[in-house]
Amino acid sequence: MRTRRGRRWIRLAKRVASHVVLILACLFALFPIYFIAVTSFSALPIASITAHVLLPNPSLLTTASYNAILFHQSPSFLSLLENSLIFAGSSAAIGLALAAFTGFALSKFNFPGRRAFVYFILLISLFPSVLLVIPFYFMFANLGLIDTYLGLIIPYSAGAVVFSGILVKNYMDSIPDDIEEAALVDGMSRTQAFFRVLIPLCYPVLGLAAFLAFIGPYTDYALAHVFITSSDKWTLALGIYTLNSSDTGSMPYGLVTAFAIVMSLPIVVAYIVFQRYIVGGLTLGAVRG
Amino acid sequence: MTGIRLENVTKRFKTVVAVDDVSVEVADGEFLVILGASGSGKSTILRIIAGLEVQTSGHVFIGDMMVDDYEPRDRNIAMVFQSYALYPHLSVFDNIAFGLKVRHVERDEIDRRVNESARQLGISEVLKRRPSELSGGQRQRVALARAIVRQPEAFLLDEPLSNLDARIRSSARIELKRIHQQLKQTFVFVTHDQSEAMTLGDRLAIVDHGKLLQYDTPQQVLSHPLNRYVASFVGSPEMVFLEGNVEAAGTAFTFVEGPVRIPVRGVGKPGPVTIGLRPWDIAVGRSARDGGLPATVTGIERFGSSDQVFLDLQGPPGSLPARGGSAVAIRAMVRAYDFNVGDAVWVGFDPDRALFFDAEGERLESMSLLNRLP
Amino acid sequence: MADLRDQKLAVRLRREWPAYVYLLPVSAVLLLLNAYPIAYTIYISMTDFGTGGRGSLLSYHYIGLSNYLDTFTTGSSTFVTLVGNSFFWAGGCVALFLLVGLGLASVLNQPIRGKSIYRTLILLPWAFPAFITILVWANMWGYQFGIVNAMLATVGVAPVNWVLSTPDAAWAALFITNVWLSFPFYTVVFLATMQAIPKDLYEAAAIDGAGSFSQFLRITLPYLRPTIVFVGLMGFLFTFNNFYPIYLITNGGPGISTQIFITESYNDAFGAHGATPLYSIAAMYSVLDFLIIIALTVVVIWQTDLTRNWLK
Repeated sequence: MRTRRGRRWIRLAKRVASHVVLILACLFALFPIYFIAVTSFSALPIASITAHVLLPNPSLLTTASYNAILFHQSPSFLSLLENSLIFAGSSAAIGLALAAFTGFALSKFNFPGRRAFVYFILLISLFPSVLLVIPFYFMFANLGLIDTYLGLIIPYSAGAVVFSGILVKNYMDSIPDDIEEAALVDGMSRTQAFFRVLIPLCYPVLGLAAFLAFIGPYTDYALAHVFITSSDKWTLALGIYTLNSSDTGSMPYGLVTAFAIVMSLPIVVAYIVFQRYIVGGLTLGAVRG
Repeated sequence: MTGIRLENVTKRFKTVVAVDDVSVEVADGEFLVILGASGSGKSTILRIIAGLEVQTSGHVFIGDMMVDDYEPRDRNIAMVFQSYALYPHLSVFDNIAFGLKVRHVERDEIDRRVNESARQLGISEVLKRRPSELSGGQRQRVALARAIVRQPEAFLLDEPLSNLDARIRSSARIELKRIHQQLKQTFVFVTHDQSEAMTLGDRLAIVDHGKLLQYDTPQQVLSHPLNRYVASFVGSPEMVFLEGNVEAAGTAFTFVEGPVRIPVRGVGKPGPVTIGLRPWDIAVGRSARDGGLPATVTGIERFGSSDQVFLDLQGPPGSLPARGGSAVAIRAMVRAYDFNVGDAVWVGFDPDRALFFDAEGERLESMSLLNRLP
Repeated sequence: MADLRDQKLAVRLRREWPAYVYLLPVSAVLLLLNAYPIAYTIYISMTDFGTGGRGSLLSYHYIGLSNYLDTFTTGSSTFVTLVGNSFFWAGGCVALFLLVGLGLASVLNQPIRGKSIYRTLILLPWAFPAFITILVWANMWGYQFGIVNAMLATVGVAPVNWVLSTPDAAWAALFITNVWLSFPFYTVVFLATMQAIPKDLYEAAAIDGAGSFSQFLRITLPYLRPTIVFVGLMGFLFTFNNFYPIYLITNGGPGISTQIFITESYNDAFGAHGATPLYSIAAMYSVLDFLIIIALTVVVIWQTDLTRNWLK
């Protein structure tokens, strides 16, 4: 039988241990971020980087790396950014429309063949998407679409469609049928009801779908590496990979990390904006499952 | 001109028959209540009229026009859903105006009509708010306003009062009746609440398992139910049933249940029979003059101005007192009385109000109680 | 809409046909950009397209299943390695994800100060795209200049060649990186589920004499079981074909000790080092990967009845 006093010590020890564990977890999670942040503001030779990271010397902080990345590289950062936005933006727009239509059809209609269709698209989505590069390469080469904008946007648009479509379907399932019926009685066709009533009610999940549809192409290396041959179409992903694999021995440390930060900026901002929906949507799905 | 007509409408879902050969004719401007338990098919009938469900066979006429092939939006009807189905992302004003906007009514006309309906229903102050900010009663009125503003040929209401607090429900009921009298339009109202049906309906259509059991005015349904289901469903407090057999002894027929014996006449042949009586039509008193059936008081439930008395009927004088399971239990509503629980009393049935049903639940018109008791 | 499944086909078609119109674009996309390429891959895998020697890019022949037979016989050690690695990679990662996720969620589930701060901090790495953070980790694992070795040096440990020396080191680097990438997700999911467990269950157990570990076993875990199964299986399938961590950090090395199906296939097709592209072999590995995933998914759905009430 533990005494009251003994129990208090145990509780205290548990609380301390908990905090220790959590602090360690945070350190583990944040260290690479910290690493990126610190080195991106440095331009030191490799040898002294460790000491600097572990104990940053404020006088050595500089924006030289950012300068180099943004203004002094070829292809220019602006060009890389532009291409990434074109690819990711267009694909996201197309992917979002596709996901919305698919989710609507699967959720609010009970058409013959629905079950088979869903199984079919789920089956198809099991194929590792990265490996679709191989057939894509030949298909698009035959069509002369290698190294064109259209040629990459098309496969990118298909990327998140199945997953986003399922997300939209699940969300629309939770919208009661009688809102759509009220719209029908009020005088709308099903299409009008879709655009004027259902879509506005789905903005959260559509935002999430747009986010997912954007982030895939934006960070894609596998497909871009194979499809893009001319440097004027290089994306940020290609840029950072090349930078990382080039000889880092002679370069000042920090170029890659500065690049990483700038490239991540749009995503981080979008993430903060959508954070509620992303975390909520994922935990909701997992808890239910 | 007729308001709404259903001709032999049947709706089948694979093996389940949700609506079974229902024919109803609602006069123009009439308030019809479709009354039934959950799953009886009442909502399905309404949705078929609206066009949200397609019937398996039969025809639907709205204002003399056959609308079988028409989409909901072309049937010129308005519907109030049980959950009100207000558009969450629009203001109250836009909710009400929605149907008009879709039909490209002019802006000024929309404003006029919306404001007028809002005034009629007392929701003018909340026009700018969202549905989520309103109370249940307010939402219900917004749903009504949305329907009224469309000036349709008929109004369909699917249990619109079920989600309201009990307190608000009766005033909402009165208001609905008032609107109906003002508009003079055809209303079709679905509910499972029989008191709602009795107060609101010009005529009632009682459905059970998809079948139309009776289509009559509330008074007729109450006093002349066509079968046992209708009799038990309508009227409060619920009807008392005595289930027994009619035995013949020569030319005399007696209704027997347990120890209770009641002489009856007008019987075809002996067999199982159910007697139905409303608790109001059962008299209870201390002396034999009050009634011819002895009974014991087993409980009294006080309601204020009148009380419900629980009784066990006994056999004819001289027989053994019945107890527990073998007793025939009934209920009577009484106003003034001087007995207590456990007392021996006398019970009388009003012979003009006693109803008889056969084994299938159908009315036996010819049977009646033999004696005036007393 | 009401249960239309029971109505006659013609009636359903008459009402529901707009669905087909809405699904037209998606179907076109999926057929052209998913179904057809998959079929094409299967076809390529049965030719000698691009495998130097007998076939080249311009002339190739249909050779049926001989690619597969070769792999299962002469190249079987490669195949076995790939299978082993893929399962080890997916299984090991998921095990770690679940352990770390459950552990951290349990710690966070207590009433302690600053809980939401911890949670936000732990989730912060998630804001950065995985591709970028993996590149940075690859950098950190570097032999000569990587920060991990540098920090180890400060405590007197000799630098380890994570990527090129031993499989153990390579796997360690991969597992640690992947755990870093995923543990916030699992922690948050488990935490959310744990928080839904009614508190009085624990109080009743405490009165009954159960200590905190016993409470965890008998109350928390059973409640979490569906979630654990779901995210565990999803995680397994996802990790099995997770390309970037392995490609960017070890690229299958040393040798092929960390090579999984998907990286092997990609390298066969587009391998650097001037090797001849082995498109048909790459296609074959794609097909094998696909078949394994299908088999696993079928088993998962069958065993857990995941899709039971999903389609009306």
